[in-house]
Amino acid sequence: MTRITIDGRDLEVEPGTTVLDAVRALGGSVPTLCFDERQAPFGACRVCLVGADGAPGPIPACTTPCRDGMVIDTHDETARRVATAVVELVLSELPEPPAEHTELAAVARALDVGEPRWPGAQHDGDHDERHPYLAFQHELCISCGRCVRACEEVQGAFALTATGRGFTANVAAGLDAGFLDSACVSCGACADTCPTDAITELSLLTPVHPRPA
Amino acid sequence: MPDRFDTDVTTTCGYCGVGCRLEAHARDGRIVSISPALDGPANRGHTCLKGRFAHQFTRSRERLTAPLIREGGGFRPATWEEAITRIASEFGRIKAQHGPDAIAGLASSRATNEDCYAMQRLMRAAIGTNNIDNCSRVCHSPTSFAMRRAFGLSGATGGFSDIDFADAAIVIGANATEGHPVAGARIKQAALRGMKLVTVDPRRIELADYGALHLSPRPGTNAAVMLGLANVIARDGFVDGDYLAERTEGFEAVEELIALYPPDVVEGISGIPARDLEAAAHIYAEADDASLVWGLGVTEHRYGSEVVQLICNLALMTGKVGRPGSALLPLRGQNNVQGSSDMGALPDTYTQYRSVADEEVARAFEVRWGVPLSRENGLKIPEMFDAAVGGELKAMYIFGEDVAQTDPDTKHVVHALKSLEFLVCQDIFETETTKYADVILPASSFLEKTGTFTNAERRIQLVRPAIEPPGAARTDFDIITTLSRALGHDMGFETPEDAMREIADLTPHFAGVTYERIGRRGLQWPVAQDGTDSPILYGERFHLPGGRGRFAALPYKEPGDAADEEFPLILVTGRRLQHYNAGTMTRRTANLQLLDSDWLEIHPDDARRLGVADGAPVKVRSRVGHIQIEARLTERIEPGHVFTAFHFPEIRTNLLVGASADVNTSCPEYKVIAVAVQPVADRAGVPTLTAAAG
Repeated sequence: MTRITIDGRDLEVEPGTTVLDAVRALGGSVPTLCFDERQAPFGACRVCLVGADGAPGPIPACTTPCRDGMVIDTHDETARRVATAVVELVLSELPEPPAEHTELAAVARALDVGEPRWPGAQHDGDHDERHPYLAFQHELCISCGRCVRACEEVQGAFALTATGRGFTANVAAGLDAGFLDSACVSCGACADTCPTDAITELSLLTPVHPRPA
Repeated sequence: MPDRFDTDVTTTCGYCGVGCRLEAHARDGRIVSISPALDGPANRGHTCLKGRFAHQFTRSRERLTAPLIREGGGFRPATWEEAITRIASEFGRIKAQHGPDAIAGLASSRATNEDCYAMQRLMRAAIGTNNIDNCSRVCHSPTSFAMRRAFGLSGATGGFSDIDFADAAIVIGANATEGHPVAGARIKQAALRGMKLVTVDPRRIELADYGALHLSPRPGTNAAVMLGLANVIARDGFVDGDYLAERTEGFEAVEELIALYPPDVVEGISGIPARDLEAAAHIYAEADDASLVWGLGVTEHRYGSEVVQLICNLALMTGKVGRPGSALLPLRGQNNVQGSSDMGALPDTYTQYRSVADEEVARAFEVRWGVPLSRENGLKIPEMFDAAVGGELKAMYIFGEDVAQTDPDTKHVVHALKSLEFLVCQDIFETETTKYADVILPASSFLEKTGTFTNAERRIQLVRPAIEPPGAARTDFDIITTLSRALGHDMGFETPEDAMREIADLTPHFAGVTYERIGRRGLQWPVAQDGTDSPILYGERFHLPGGRGRFAALPYKEPGDAADEEFPLILVTGRRLQHYNAGTMTRRTANLQLLDSDWLEIHPDDARRLGVADGAPVKVRSRVGHIQIEARLTERIEPGHVFTAFHFPEIRTNLLVGASADVNTSCPEYKVIAVAVQPVADRAGVPTLTAAAG
C-alpha cells in the first residue's frame, strides 16, 4: 500500500491510484475538465492541478500516481491560480457563457471564475444539425478531447477527430463529413461526455421535438 | 442548476439483453433525453443509439390509447369494463365448451418478470392450462435447454465483466456490435487492448476486423466446427485431465466422437480451412482465461441446442468455466429473454425451470394459489399454431409479441390466427398480429412501468416508470391482474413488488430477492435468503446431481434445409444496429432516418452470375414463400450465401422461413434457408406486401 497525506489527512491507497482518485476517496474534490471516469486519464486541461510538497510546481491530479510519503495540498495557491486562469482563458474564446447545466459552467462556478478579463477573438456560431439526434455547436468546442476519446475508448467507432491548431482547434466527424457520413454509430457517447454542449442532443436544443411521421 | 427536466428516473433499458441502466429525463410528461447510468454494472456509463435515442415511439400518434373491439370489418374503441367483460365471458365460454386447454397464452420477453409471472399465473390458475409460452422459444430456448443439461442452470456462467478479464474469446454466431452494441463495444475494446478474439460467423462481421482470426462456416455447420475445435484441443494435449476427473462426467464418449472430426474433415463440412481451425483451437486452449460468447447464429438452427452443448464441451475439456475471464456468455436477444423464462412463462416449467409434473413444486403453487393445477405439459408456440389450425385450440391471449411478423412460416401463423374463435392482443401498437384480434388491449412500454428485467448476466434489475402510459392505456401488470380477477382468480397483488414477494417465497433461487436489495446494482441469481447473489457460477460444483458438468457426445448433422438446383443460395437472417427486432418501436423513431429499409446482402460473384445489380430490386424465393427486396453487393458475405434483417413489415422476411426447428426446443431455423434470387425486371418495382403475399 502507498501512504499519502491530502490536506492534512493520511490515507493508504493501492499502488497505482491517482491523486485524483485518492482525493475523491477521502470525499474531497478537485475541479476537472478533460477528465471522465470512463476514459483513461488524459491530463491536458491543467484544471485539476494540486500542490505537492517538493514538486517544482503544481501537478495534475488526474494523471499523477500516488507515491509513498506524498503530501498533497488541494488548495495550493499557485495551483488554484493556474487552474482559474486556464478556465478563464477557455471561457474568453466562447461567444457566450456556457449553459448552466454544463460541466464547464460548474467548473467555472467552483473556481469562482466570472466574466473573462480578456476580450479577444471569439468563435463564430457554427452548427451542424444534419444528424437526427446529434448536433455540433462548434463554437463551444474547447478541444478537451473527451468526445474523441469517448468515441475511441468507450465505443470504438473512431469517428471523431481533433482538427485545427491553436484558436481554430476543434472536433470533426470523419473528415469533417458530419456524423452521418462518418464511421459514427450514433451511440451518443460524445454528447454524453462533452462538458460544453459543443456536441449535444438535438432534442435538448429544440424544446418541442417533432413527432415522427 | 436550473431544472432542464421535471423528473429524472433511473431504470433499465427495454431494448436488448445487455441490460443497460439508464437515466430517463422527462419534461411535461414526455421523455426528452436518456443518458446512461454511470454505475450501470453492464454498461458502465455507456449505451447505444437504441437505448439512448429511440424513445420517440412512446409518444407516437399510433400508440394504442383505448381498448379496441372488433366490429364489422374494423375495430371500435371500448371501455376497459366492456373489453375485460368480453374477454372473461369468451374465455369462460370456450373453457366450458372445450376445456381449459383450448386456450393458450403468450408472455413477452420484452415485459417485466412480474408481468410474465402474472401472465403464467393467469393461464395456469385462472384458466387452468399450461398452454403458456414466451418468445424466447424462437431465440434462446436452445441455450436454456443445453446449459441446463451441461451445467445445471439456464443462464450465463458469468457476466460481461468476464470480457475484461479474458485473454481470449470466441464469439460464435453473434454480431454483437449491431445486435448488442454495448457488449459489442466492450468486446471490441478488449480486442484493442490485446484480447485474442476469434469470430465465427458466415458473414465477416465488424468484430472480425478487430480479431486475431475469423472463421466463416457454411450456415448450419456449427456443430462440426465445435467438434473440430475439440478434436484439436484433445489432439494437441490441451485437455485439463485434473478438471476432467474432478469436475466432469462423460468425456469418454466425446473423446471417441471428436476423433472423427479432424480439421481436414471439418474443412470439408464447414469450408473453414483446417489451419484456421487449428489456430482458433490453440488461441482458446492456450489462453489462461478464455470466454465463449454466442448468439442466435448458434441457436436458431435445427440442431441449435446440440451446438450449445458442444460449446459447453469446450469449456469442460479445458476447465475454462467458473472463474473471472473464463465464462460462457449467451447474448440474449430481447431485454427479458432470461427473465420471462425464469418466471415460468413456459409450457413445461414453473419458476426456476421446475417441471409442472413435479408434485412437490406443483403442490406448493396449488397451496399458494388455492386452485388445482395441471401436471401436463402445455403447448409450445409452434404447437399452438398447429393446434389452432387443427381446431383444438380455440382462443389465444398474446401479449407483447407480433407473431405474424416475427415467427417463422408466416402463412401458417396467419392461418392459425384466423382459425381461432377468439384472439386477444395486448400491445402498445397495432401490429401484423392485432389485425386478427377480437379485442386489442392498450398496454405500456418499458418507460411507463414498474418491475424488473433480468439481463443476459442473470442480473435482476429494477424498471421504474419515467412517464405515464398514454390515454387509457394501462400497465401490463394492471391489465393481467384485472383480467385474472374478472376470470374469478384474484392474485391479490397490489403492485409488481407484491408479485416479486410471491416469486421469492416460491422460488429458491429468488429467495433473497427484494426490490430494496436489487437497488442500483442488481442481483445475479441464484440469490440466497440473506441476499447473497452469484456473479460467477460453478466455481466449486455444477448444479447437477453429483455436481459434475456433463459432456454431450453429439455428432454433426445436416441442417434442416440445404441448397439445391432450384434454391441454390443459403439465406441467413439477422439484425441491424439501428433497429430492434420487428421494428415496432425503432421504426417509430428517427432511427428510421438512419436506416429506412431492409436489404439483401449478396456477394458480387453471385450477383454477377444472377445478373443482380447493386441497389436493384430482387425477388427472393424459398420453399415456402417469396419476398421482394433491394439487393446490395458486399464481400462481407461468402459466395453462396445471402443475408437480410427482418425489421420492416413491408418486406416480411419471415415469409421465407419454413417449419424447420430445433429438435429439442422447437426454436425455428431462421439461419439456414435455401433460396433462389432473381432480378426483378421492372426497376421501378417497389417491394410491397401485396407483391410478397401474392
